[in-house]
Amino acid sequence: MADFFSNYDLGGFYDEMFSAPGVPRPHYRRLLERYQNMADRGELLARQKDADQTFINRGVTFTVYSDKSGTEKIFPFDLVPRIIPAAEWNHLEQGLKQRMTALDQFLNDIYSDQRIVNEGIVPRELVESCAHFRKELVGMDLPRHRHVHINGTDLIRDADGIYRVLEDNLRTPSGVSYVLENRQIMKRVFPNLLRHYHVRPVAGYTSDLLDLLNWLAPAHVPEPNVVLLTPGVYNSAYYEHAFLARQMGIDIVEGSDLVIENDRVYMKRTGGLMPVHVIYRRIDDDFLDPTVFRKDSLLGVPGLFEAYRKGNVALTNPIGTGIADDKAVYYYVPKMIEFYLGEEPIIPNVETYLTSDDDERKYILENLPQLVVKSVNEAGGYGMLIGPHSTKKEIKEFAKKIVANPRNFIAQPTLSFSRCPTLCGREMGGRHVDLRPYILNGESVKIVPGGLTRVALRKGSLVVNSSQGGGSKDTWVLADDHGETGTAPPLKPEKVSV
Amino acid sequence: MLSRVANILYWTARYLERSENTLRLIDVNAQLVLDLESHRDFNDPRSWEPLVYVSGEEEKFFELYEKPVTEESVVQFLLFDARNPSSLLSCVATARENARCIRDHISSEMWQVLNTLYLRLKKHDYRDYAESGSSEYIDDLKLAIQQIYAVAESMAPRNEAWWFYLLGRYLERADNTSRILDIKYFMILPDRHHVGSVLDVIQWGSVLRSCSGYEAFRSTQRGQLRLENVINYLIRDREFPRSILASVNAADNALAKICANKDTQVHVDAVREINGLREHIEKTDIPALIASGLHEYLDDVQVRVAAVHRAMQDAFVNYDPAKASIV
Repeated sequence: MADFFSNYDLGGFYDEMFSAPGVPRPHYRRLLERYQNMADRGELLARQKDADQTFINRGVTFTVYSDKSGTEKIFPFDLVPRIIPAAEWNHLEQGLKQRMTALDQFLNDIYSDQRIVNEGIVPRELVESCAHFRKELVGMDLPRHRHVHINGTDLIRDADGIYRVLEDNLRTPSGVSYVLENRQIMKRVFPNLLRHYHVRPVAGYTSDLLDLLNWLAPAHVPEPNVVLLTPGVYNSAYYEHAFLARQMGIDIVEGSDLVIENDRVYMKRTGGLMPVHVIYRRIDDDFLDPTVFRKDSLLGVPGLFEAYRKGNVALTNPIGTGIADDKAVYYYVPKMIEFYLGEEPIIPNVETYLTSDDDERKYILENLPQLVVKSVNEAGGYGMLIGPHSTKKEIKEFAKKIVANPRNFIAQPTLSFSRCPTLCGREMGGRHVDLRPYILNGESVKIVPGGLTRVALRKGSLVVNSSQGGGSKDTWVLADDHGETGTAPPLKPEKVSV
Repeated sequence: MLSRVANILYWTARYLERSENTLRLIDVNAQLVLDLESHRDFNDPRSWEPLVYVSGEEEKFFELYEKPVTEESVVQFLLFDARNPSSLLSCVATARENARCIRDHISSEMWQVLNTLYLRLKKHDYRDYAESGSSEYIDDLKLAIQQIYAVAESMAPRNEAWWFYLLGRYLERADNTSRILDIKYFMILPDRHHVGSVLDVIQWGSVLRSCSGYEAFRSTQRGQLRLENVINYLIRDREFPRSILASVNAADNALAKICANKDTQVHVDAVREINGLREHIEKTDIPALIASGLHEYLDDVQVRVAAVHRAMQDAFVNYDPAKASIV
């Protein structure tokens, strides 16, 4: 009898579930059996429908700015989980901790001694021309000497199944609420599978986050008041802000709820003003304080920066972390790991070329049809050129932009990143996936097992962003492998390319 | 709690209560019209026009709809028209939008019920109302709204958020019950009938039913459905939860909980206003009121409820931070 996988085509990509046509990887075997044994396709389709409806009724939605038809959408959820064996996760965890530690030291260094610049490892003009470099931060003492607290690092797997870092998100990475919500749905839909698989729980994330926030409070405050600062209900990630605040039992505030008196932060409550000690802000640096950053910001709190500078309030993430989101700075992260930690990077970068480098730019301009070019400061899949999917005219236009502003771009080979079976209509199709783990840099580095697996739902698409046709899957990190991993792919490339 | 959040909770409750009462208004009118029909042409414009005035949105209505006023235009306007800020759809949409802003202060279940109601209502128009019949359609929606209350009631912690929610709900109810009572004033009896006639009694019965008060009234008050009795019941009964006095008392109770543990300076004006309102209602002389005009009295009640609202806003939401105490 035909099942979901009868017409499944690996398409020449690294497939998360199959090592060869019809041959599942050991850790997917049980899942595949379960799907194939369903009495009819109707069962899974009905479960998918149930899951979608649950998201709509619970209002687990995000807002699309460009979409006029309806501002709220659900982030489509796919019922086929992505499974990561314990050994593989162990490797990723070590690599992500290493990366987080190096990035923290880099930011600390850039805003103090600038050793890495003085020693010529990272060019000075690169750092100082970063759109998110904040000169106001230079020389400032930050709570617990941490310069970054939360990072959402995007990982992909290349054609050989090797995990690589695609980018870091050190400002306000979003999406972690979907990790938690997706698991809730899977518990409803496939309770037995979850149990059999010994999947590691993800629910501890919000307690870890709250621990981190409390730990950052000024030393003399025994019971700090922590709040989450949101741009408001019209922000695309508002659902997540409210979700996290509720899970942590902290107040979610807007800029207008906060007032500054004598360089201290207070929130306006029904009985009067209450002191605030830690702010988990989901607002970009630019909008935090109109007296220091963007003057036209209505979202922020006038005087907040001065309170921060005096150590009366902690901010998560700290100000100025955006330098490390710059994709030209990303190019140097492997060198930072060597410089600060004296180690080789455990998870390599994707091969990257800088348009600001004369030789590399020449190579890029000659090979645009094969390359992906990204704007260094854009996120969400905006401002990029995907060479193989572009017309000659588009490529020509983009080449002009590169020449006009070489500091603004990087290029990477078009990656054939891995695919995972995904329910497409009435059967399974291979769709490209990435993985965003959430790394907390508190007293120790903590990572919720797995993270957000995003999937490009459009056939052939490589763009996984929620705003551009992406969806998500639950990510299962196994507690033990029981020898089920079989012949695992190599975790590291033969030689680390820097 | 945060002033902004308290205010949003308060308004969410007001919008929900208003939604329910808009349904009750239509319900009472549909019933009155049915009772009248043997005495009037089926589409007598006088049958539905009063609702427009009672809703307080007559300007908007006549801007959007042509005369003669029909059941269709009034129901479309009061239930489904997004251009009317007080329509059922607008109220539910605003309540939902508010709830979305404070998702962290309401239970997921409450949000879910409210969201489901909104998604359902968004697809409806007059045809859905006409198809299932006024009574059934309205009962069904009333139940959906009451489901929201029930979920809130059974799950919400009795903290400050809850008391702001109740304060909004009961102030709105005091206002709305006065409007439902008022509809009888606009519903002019056909010429051959007058106060105390069979039709008059039937109409008072309908007003009571629309407040879900018919059976309760019957069990407490012996004798006929007389004008004074019904008015007295809906204005001054202490036990019936939709009477104006009971609503004001419930609002007063909520306000007292909010004020507990707060500096007296903060809330002195709000407390004075609500005490004034309660005493005013308690002292009402019903026969004198009927003689001097029920409509004017009800208008005055609405003005006093608005004064409590403003005092409450000044106390907890719109205060000057420079003069506020630190807690």
